[in-house]
Amino acid sequence: MKKILIAISFFLTFKGAIAQDLVKKIPSNAFTVATIKGDNLFKLMFVKDFDESFLGKKFLTGASKSLDKNFNSIEDFGINLDKSMYYFNQLNDSITYHHFLIPIKDANKFDELIKSKETRFTKKGDVRTYILPDSSGILMWNNTMLCGVNGSIKSSFFADSAKSAKYGIKDIRYQNNYDEAAVAVDSTAVATYPDTTYSEDVTYPVAPPKVKKKIAPKKGKKKVAAKPKAAAKKTVKKKKQYTPPPIADVEAVDAVDVVDMPTTTDAAVEAVAAPADDAYDEYQQARAEQEGKKKKLALEWILIHADQILSTEYPSIEKNKSYTESLDNAAIASLWVSSLQDVYGSVAPEFGTYGKANIMKGYGSLNAKLFMDKSSFRISTGLELAKEQAEAYKKIMNKKINKNFLKYVNSEKAIGFMGYSIDTKAYLEEFPKFMKQAYGSFLGSNMEQEIEIGSDLFSLILDEEAVSKVVKGDALFVINGLNSKEVTYTSYDYDEDYNRKEVTKTKKETLPDFLFMFSSEDTRLFNKLINYGINKKLVSVDQNIYKIAAKQSPIDIYLMIKDGIVFFGNSLTEIQSISNNSYRTNISKAHKNLLAKNNFSFLFNAKNLVGKVPDEEIGGKETAAKFNETLGKMGNIYMKSNPIKGNIVSADISAEIPNGHENALKYLFSLIENAAK
Amino acid sequence: MKLKEFYRLLLFIILVPALSSCFQVIEELTLHNDGTGEVILTINLSQSKTKVQSVMLLDSINGYKVPSKQKIQQELNEAVAYLRKSEGISNVKSTSDFNNYIATISFSFKDVSNINNITKNILAQQKIKAPNTSSYNFNKTTKLFSRKYQPVGTAKTEYNKLKSKDKAVFNGATYTSIYRFESPVTNSSNPASNVSKSGKAVMLKSSILDLINGKINVSNQIQLSK
Repeated sequence: MKKILIAISFFLTFKGAIAQDLVKKIPSNAFTVATIKGDNLFKLMFVKDFDESFLGKKFLTGASKSLDKNFNSIEDFGINLDKSMYYFNQLNDSITYHHFLIPIKDANKFDELIKSKETRFTKKGDVRTYILPDSSGILMWNNTMLCGVNGSIKSSFFADSAKSAKYGIKDIRYQNNYDEAAVAVDSTAVATYPDTTYSEDVTYPVAPPKVKKKIAPKKGKKKVAAKPKAAAKKTVKKKKQYTPPPIADVEAVDAVDVVDMPTTTDAAVEAVAAPADDAYDEYQQARAEQEGKKKKLALEWILIHADQILSTEYPSIEKNKSYTESLDNAAIASLWVSSLQDVYGSVAPEFGTYGKANIMKGYGSLNAKLFMDKSSFRISTGLELAKEQAEAYKKIMNKKINKNFLKYVNSEKAIGFMGYSIDTKAYLEEFPKFMKQAYGSFLGSNMEQEIEIGSDLFSLILDEEAVSKVVKGDALFVINGLNSKEVTYTSYDYDEDYNRKEVTKTKKETLPDFLFMFSSEDTRLFNKLINYGINKKLVSVDQNIYKIAAKQSPIDIYLMIKDGIVFFGNSLTEIQSISNNSYRTNISKAHKNLLAKNNFSFLFNAKNLVGKVPDEEIGGKETAAKFNETLGKMGNIYMKSNPIKGNIVSADISAEIPNGHENALKYLFSLIENAAK
Repeated sequence: MKLKEFYRLLLFIILVPALSSCFQVIEELTLHNDGTGEVILTINLSQSKTKVQSVMLLDSINGYKVPSKQKIQQELNEAVAYLRKSEGISNVKSTSDFNNYIATISFSFKDVSNINNITKNILAQQKIKAPNTSSYNFNKTTKLFSRKYQPVGTAKTEYNKLKSKDKAVFNGATYTSIYRFESPVTNSSNPASNVSKSGKAVMLKSSILDLINGKINVSNQIQLSK
């Protein structure tokens, strides 16, 4: 009995060890995390089905060929397909690390995968290390996980001479070390090598941001300093505690010979004797040497970094509330970015002066999730806002679409529609605040008063209340179907002697009937505009329907104002039926909900387009058949914004799959197979 | 969004997706017995005018910049100016109709061989590389008119490089050549050509696609009665 218990507990412990999700290995200061949930993925398509699928076979054949092995199943790679795989990155002022974490099921199989005539890996205990041929990254794995790390050193870090000297690296710039020499020798040489040629890595005025920056500090969150300031001596040995990327304490570079570079004076003296070409070659050589050192240093860091991930414990991303709250167990894949404000901050220096405008200020973490089920694909996105921002959005989005709009959607015929509703008054009131927030810093810190005045002036000039009566903030664009119209064109006929005669022929053209409408409580301005148009002969009128006489326009556009709604459309029949209340309302419940319940909604119903466009207009029978076949296979495509929840705004995009497919993933595979044929 | 921009976007959504168009290229050549003659080149986009009108309202389409009416007129004027300077060419005229999208260029020549380098040079002027694969010749003694045309291999390659939606532009496009003579035609070597009832004109109609793909050759040797 005891033995059984031991066996059971051993089994449970063992199972527990295997079942450990690799998310624990993602540090809490990760900047971006992407996940593929293997269990959810392979629930939709068994491994066997994948192996036998067109794509699977192609993948296995390709892998077998390129690795000179024989793979019959993706399971042969030794990867644990039932667990999640991750990508994450970490940024700091010296290096950006990109990581892949992949669960291993059978390390021997994975060893075999890597091992080949050309490639070898080292093994220390159960940790194997393989350095990529170009030394840009490594793969390090044990019996349960694989960690792939690639790192790119930031040029701006070594532009700081104090930092670069510490690692025996010199910041080589042509302007500093060689340019003067070149000028001294021959001015034409300067023309041959314009400054821009070699200044590519010296234009980083602002140091990249540190990961520590967050919009709002989260309670109880332990931050792991990304900046390499830990001073304790560290080696590549296993450590029990997580330590930040070892930048300040790597001594291995000492081994690299530091090449003495000519100083500006030396170079100038040499250059007098040698042509500028030589100086340039010398510069290139010196630069290549320094680049080599940087690469070597990066590799040292990467090795230590990967070892820490594999062998030590540290506060994981699971402690990050923003990350954990973004998760959904049903998702196939997901992406989380810690802070849009920080993302912008990290790329902004590249934009120079314009980068100073923090247009992302107030925007926090971003997440996107992909779902696939029996009936559809869905991508759900969420954006975290700062409290003030969220409050502003709540006010702006506190508006529903005019219910009367719904009368003018014909679900049986509609090819697509797009509806939106915002509170114009709230928007105009919040707008100056957004501008101040986004561009305030761009204009400079001593410009606050001016910005304040600008905002007040905006509010003063605009009577928000009055504007919101003219344009209430809701609109609907709908394409209710297609219509044929006869058009004339010039062609030529030839008599018996092939003399050309100009003839006017007619043909039918199919155009979509569109209808655009928006609410207006105060239509005086539009009436004035229409009267102006009539006086200028730009608008003609028939009862209450106005025709816009745009000479260049290939289509006629009609305008009508009725019951506080301004209508635009290209179908006179449709506008007339709205005018005399004979429009046949035929909106489905689903479409009604989609439009009425969301601030923004979009629908494309491809099926209503099948066979409606004459073949000759799509480019012949063959093209038309393909076009219709593709449309017929497409389900509805929807987009909608969700009501703001807490401080998160979110939106969904979904595409229904047609009948006859088991689930969205298998449908996707069949689409790829069809496209490849 | 300004109303004009909205309007442009609207047209883009509604009209542009189906961009297959029909256009005609017509080459008419009248040759007198003394070797002089006239040429009228016509490009007619009238059948696709709704689409052309829509495209003209856009700045660019499928990644190509849409030329303005002024730009098209300018190019046409440049071609006319070039022709006026060309050897043996006179009486150069051009017309452009932006309501129906039809443009023509007509001119007289002293000798049919005067035309040979024109197309190539005009294309070169527009920075379009094209090998000289087309030539005309008339032997006054033997009364043999010949049009030599070598399908351009690169045309097919370039065409195949296009995206399918760009290829669609050529669907339904036609090329027609009409040669008129003072003397009756006794033989026209191209089987795709037809001789008129009076026997003094030869017509050849082809789709531009067949021409690009080299399925049809417009080369012809026309023997006139002596």
